[in-house]
Amino acid sequence: MLLTLIAALPFVGSIAAAFLPAGARNAAAWLAGVVAVACLALVALLYPGVQAGGVETFRFEWLPQFGLDLYFRMDGFAWLFALLVSLMGALVVLYARYYMSPEDPVPRFFAFLLAFMGAMLGVVLSGNLIQIVVFWELTSFTSFMLIAYWYHLPDARRAARMSVTVTVAGGLCLLMGVLMIGEIVGSYDLDDVLVAGDVLRAHPWYGALLILIALGVLTKSAQFPFHFWLPQAMTAPTPVSAYLHSATMVKAGVFLLARLWPALAGTNLWFWIIASAGAASLLVGAFSATFQRDTKGVLAYSTISHLGLITMLLGMNSELALVAAVFHMMNHATFKASLFMAAGIVQHETGTRDMKRLGGLARSMPITAAVATVAAAAMAGVPLLNGFLSKEMFFAEAIVVGRSLGMSITLPTIALLAGVFSVAYSLRFVHQVFFTEPSHDLPKPGHEPTRGMIVPGALLVVACLLVGVLPAVTVGPVLETAMMSILGPELPEYRLAIWHGFTLPLVMSFIALAGGITFYVLLLARGAVMSPTPILSRLNAARMFDVANVVVVRGAAKLSHLFFTRRLQSQLLAIVGIALVAGVAAFGSTGWSAGENPLTPIDPLFTLLWVVGAACAVGAAQQAKFHRLAALIMLGGAGLVTCLTFAWFSAPDLALTQIAVEVVTVVLLLLGLRWLPRRIAFDDPRRKTPRARGRRARDFLLAVAAGCGTAALAFAVLTRPQVSDLPGYFLRNSLEVAGGRNVVNVILVDFRSFDTLGEITVVAIVALIVYALLRRFRPAPESIDVPKAQRADPAPLTTAVDAPLPRGYMRLPAVLVRLIGPMAGLVSVYFLLRGHQAPGGGFVGGLVMASAVIVQYMVGGTMWVESRLRIHPQVWIALGMIGAGTAGIAAWFAGKPFLSALAADLHLPLIGDVHLSTVLLFDLGVYMLVIGAVVLMLVALAHQSLRSPRRVPVEPSRESAEETDEAEAVV
Amino acid sequence: MTFTSAHLVALLPIVVLGGAAIVVLLLAAFSPSRRVTTGATAIALAATLATLPIAARVIPLDVSPLIRIDGAALLYTGLLVACTLGVLGLSTAYLKGLGESVGELCILLVTAALGAAVLSASSHFASLFLGIELVSVSLFALLAYARDEKPNLEASLKYVILSGVSSAFLLFGIALVYTELGTLEFARIAELVPLESASSVYIAGGLGFVIAGIAFKMSLVPFHLWTPDVYQGAPAPITAFLATVSKGAVFVVLLRYFMLADAYAYRPLIVALSLLAGASMLLGNVLALLQNNVKRILAYSSIAHIGYLLVAFIAGGAVAIESASYYLAAYLASSIGAFGVVAILSSGVEGETQTLREYRGLYWRRPWLAAVFSLMLLSLAGIPLTMGFVAKFYVVAASIDASLWVLLALVIVGSGIGLFYYLRVLVTLYLEPDDVTPDGARAAAAPSGHVVLAVASVAVIWLGIFPAQLIDVVRALAFTNG
Repeated sequence: MLLTLIAALPFVGSIAAAFLPAGARNAAAWLAGVVAVACLALVALLYPGVQAGGVETFRFEWLPQFGLDLYFRMDGFAWLFALLVSLMGALVVLYARYYMSPEDPVPRFFAFLLAFMGAMLGVVLSGNLIQIVVFWELTSFTSFMLIAYWYHLPDARRAARMSVTVTVAGGLCLLMGVLMIGEIVGSYDLDDVLVAGDVLRAHPWYGALLILIALGVLTKSAQFPFHFWLPQAMTAPTPVSAYLHSATMVKAGVFLLARLWPALAGTNLWFWIIASAGAASLLVGAFSATFQRDTKGVLAYSTISHLGLITMLLGMNSELALVAAVFHMMNHATFKASLFMAAGIVQHETGTRDMKRLGGLARSMPITAAVATVAAAAMAGVPLLNGFLSKEMFFAEAIVVGRSLGMSITLPTIALLAGVFSVAYSLRFVHQVFFTEPSHDLPKPGHEPTRGMIVPGALLVVACLLVGVLPAVTVGPVLETAMMSILGPELPEYRLAIWHGFTLPLVMSFIALAGGITFYVLLLARGAVMSPTPILSRLNAARMFDVANVVVVRGAAKLSHLFFTRRLQSQLLAIVGIALVAGVAAFGSTGWSAGENPLTPIDPLFTLLWVVGAACAVGAAQQAKFHRLAALIMLGGAGLVTCLTFAWFSAPDLALTQIAVEVVTVVLLLLGLRWLPRRIAFDDPRRKTPRARGRRARDFLLAVAAGCGTAALAFAVLTRPQVSDLPGYFLRNSLEVAGGRNVVNVILVDFRSFDTLGEITVVAIVALIVYALLRRFRPAPESIDVPKAQRADPAPLTTAVDAPLPRGYMRLPAVLVRLIGPMAGLVSVYFLLRGHQAPGGGFVGGLVMASAVIVQYMVGGTMWVESRLRIHPQVWIALGMIGAGTAGIAAWFAGKPFLSALAADLHLPLIGDVHLSTVLLFDLGVYMLVIGAVVLMLVALAHQSLRSPRRVPVEPSRESAEETDEAEAVV
Repeated sequence: MTFTSAHLVALLPIVVLGGAAIVVLLLAAFSPSRRVTTGATAIALAATLATLPIAARVIPLDVSPLIRIDGAALLYTGLLVACTLGVLGLSTAYLKGLGESVGELCILLVTAALGAAVLSASSHFASLFLGIELVSVSLFALLAYARDEKPNLEASLKYVILSGVSSAFLLFGIALVYTELGTLEFARIAELVPLESASSVYIAGGLGFVIAGIAFKMSLVPFHLWTPDVYQGAPAPITAFLATVSKGAVFVVLLRYFMLADAYAYRPLIVALSLLAGASMLLGNVLALLQNNVKRILAYSSIAHIGYLLVAFIAGGAVAIESASYYLAAYLASSIGAFGVVAILSSGVEGETQTLREYRGLYWRRPWLAAVFSLMLLSLAGIPLTMGFVAKFYVVAASIDASLWVLLALVIVGSGIGLFYYLRVLVTLYLEPDDVTPDGARAAAAPSGHVVLAVASVAVIWLGIFPAQLIDVVRALAFTNG
């Protein structure tokens, strides 16, 4: 329970701090301080529990379905880190209280700091791997917030984004690796994972998961080649650097390596990946640190180097090296945090971090100078300080571990070389800032800071000294507890003491010291200290990251150019093209073959018919853009061919229906054509450009290909035996069961009458919608001028209500059309009545009647027709619906299901046998509805001509919403 | 088939939605009050949710060959109807600023929800097509709802035409499958396919076309071209609907097809879906990097998210259904929230609040909206303590389970890139507002929109911290299909 409290307290504190007013500097600091100290106290309280290899646990059910619990687990190692995190937290809070300027929104800072602290405590105290990853990612995000705290600085934003991208991407890799571990072990609990080392190492996934975990760990600990984010992150406020970038967050990586050491270490792969990454970081970091100009830059690179040292130790597969690694984690945290604080003080008091401008501050800030000097000495590995001890252990391990001859030379050489550099940059840091000639170029004259700022650093330095002089007494027990929790009760022989006798490692330490001093003196003499890092400055990884960034963005731009278009035509082209490719792929792989059904013989006349039809269709498509009327006429031609085809194959009922539909749709389209925007002239120059020609050719080819493909498919399907015998069923049962000889009509009004009911409803709705949409429509001004043909020869048509028959050539059609009216009515009723037995039916009848009305409109004019027309379309639609519905409901009274046909044969005098059926009523409904719907649409279209055109709208031109250029990089 | 009262009970959610469409239609026609119409719609949708437990008593049950009501159907119906309710709340807020009438929107939302419910329970290609068209046709009108706005019309027109093309593919595919098998029932296909799959190209081609049609509706790469345009042009709440209910419903029917027709056994289909998922994750994320328009960013991100969702789905097995269901829920909640913020900010603003610039410094002007938006972005990015994290965890776990290494790598890479652009938006919210930033504060405040945001936020956080509750429900329901 106490464990959860430790992890939860900082978050609670964080939320509380977030709600403090922006000026509440002291309150926020007090709050953060109290929380940190409370955590520290709680951690200290728990020490007895973990002392002798004990483990404190707390479990809370979270995702039982996955075997995942909220599981906190504290053993010696976790305790050590929890102590580090909360102790450093408390010191940093104290430091930050004085460091942060009153103008900054300090509560926000402490809120993020506490949140980070909670996340970090969560990482070290988590008892299952998933939970570790969760907190791990949380540390990345809180660190993002902290680095970007001064978000008005573009550098800070950039650095924050870089660090979060790198560490979170690493975190995702870690997640993947952890999931693989969980999959292998069968549990995510650390207890289970840590004892499953043999299974893990023997598993075929071991290599992959190790690489993934290494990616996570190395990014977090800023190890080569992912180290570049850390120096960039120095734009963060210094307390953040002291806390995150020396003591805690970057340690999370090596913490996890040590945590998983029993489960994963011990293989050659581990050695090659981990140790070589460590060695590379060790050298690169130390070398680069020597040449930095920025005080914090030196410290950042030195952190990379020291973490590299730890990583290398962890990679050595030796228990002693592990001890040294853990020991160095502690030591590095103490002296590096102290150094960061000193660098922060210098910046705070003088206003700069530029080592070229700084100098001789030892006179004005003696205490700071003393603290920094001791800490730097610890970093360099000077005897009597903690850094010396762990570095000596490192040298010892470097000598021992190398098994082959090459290794036994390479490892110590790397170690020694790094030692030389580390002495050089430590010396340089102290010398340049504090002990050269006093500088007069400072923004502010330096003086000693307030006590609160120097105390945390000083305390840490004291710790360095104590550990350095009396290691066995001070850290001995703690380290032992920590090591026991990793390695079990049997620890390797190691002795924490200053004097181990005159050994090779000691010699190496002194060589490193002497070498470092010499190297620095030489550099000073050549004046090369401030130059950009030799060799490595060319390999600027941060720049590479930016370049990669730009490459990705450019690549994305290219991709988007390739894969995206706003044009509808191109989008359609893409979709049809993809479908074509997919179809060819599907059928191309197994081969297309026609079925076995016998083919009907080919009649040359019929072929000719279809050639004409196809030509019409192609022509319609070709002309659609330039001459709509021509296109429409050709469309009608293609439709006629379809009708003839139906007739050819002895389906007169279908042919009849089709032709009626063709006529009505063509006429309605014709009426609508007028309101379309002005067409492009056939000889428009825009059409003649090669680009346009190419586009049309491409579209043509694609259309032909898609059409042929579909035709081939249809052919193949039609020549195969049918799976179901629907046609046969209808043919057999049409007369027998439904009592009708016209199969199409029987299907419509009987077998599938429910569908028909739905369809006529849709027709009615469509008509109403067309009416509603066009009711207030005014044609655009550019589309209302009189067509060319009419301008040349104005038609002698009058549309007045009481106009007499027109004169001239229009008189003939006018007379004919008026004669057609009643005849069409008669024919339509005839079709309706005989529909059940012979070609015809309500639908066809309705269309015939409707076309008669349409023609009246066309010739007589709207005013003339409507003053005489007795059809109220809405009423007809309603009556039609009611009729069809009644026919359906009538069946209920006969105890049959909805829409069943009721039939009676009556013998009437004079007329003869009459077949009466509710089907007829239903058909009547269809008939009326079709008439009503068509006329209603017609009215809607026709009334446009009666309305005055729309005024030219003055639209405020809004800038195109698309802004794909990357010009505005906001973050 | 005899129709018993149990069938009627099972159908209750669909019946209520159908009835609601008529009631709302009449109310919209005869009642002048916006409040009455929207209130009735909300009650109807809530009533649909309330019928789910009642229907749960009789499941699983085949109500005609077309519809199969089982736990999964009820679960998804619930999710999608809840989303519709959210969209209704956002639309009300949005339209208030716009001054458009709200009645037609209510009707269309209800019919679209009906389509989604039909899709959730579909067990037959006919009901699949009906459901898809119910949703799509409703969307045609919804997309052009503010019909004086040019972008609205453009979006709608593009959607109508392209959607028509894709429906043609879908129908053609269904027809091919039918010619080969003589049935349209999912379950019967399962019996027939293994026998013939080796020989028949018609099944391969037919299902290929069906997948193409479905991929269009889910806007998977390479059928995604319409997505950014339509998302950008549509009214923001309708974009939310398009991104959530429309996509979700189609995904659900795909899932049901796979479950009922046992399509996992049919490799070509899995390969095709894997390709689509991989391409969607990669391209969706990469293309989102470039956008400076929030709606377009969310559009591309939704493409990528459906890709992730498909990965969970491709993994197969029991985990697939569970993880896909959870992912869907997380995606729905986060998307509703994210688009909801856009909708509220766009209410009454000409041309909507869309460009990233207009979001600069949102935190200093509308802290609550900025906070919700941040939460939703974090959830979409898959950050811990949100639903998005658990969802992504599920996807990764499922793909490891099924050893889908390539897809897994793409999930990881995609998430990395995703993080980048989500953060870009996120950081923008907290920058100092500059002078040229248009004032989003003009947007009218409407309580219903904020309620929706609050509910979505609570869901994203609560179910992100305690996912077990939702998972229990998913497990209890999703596996009762027998």
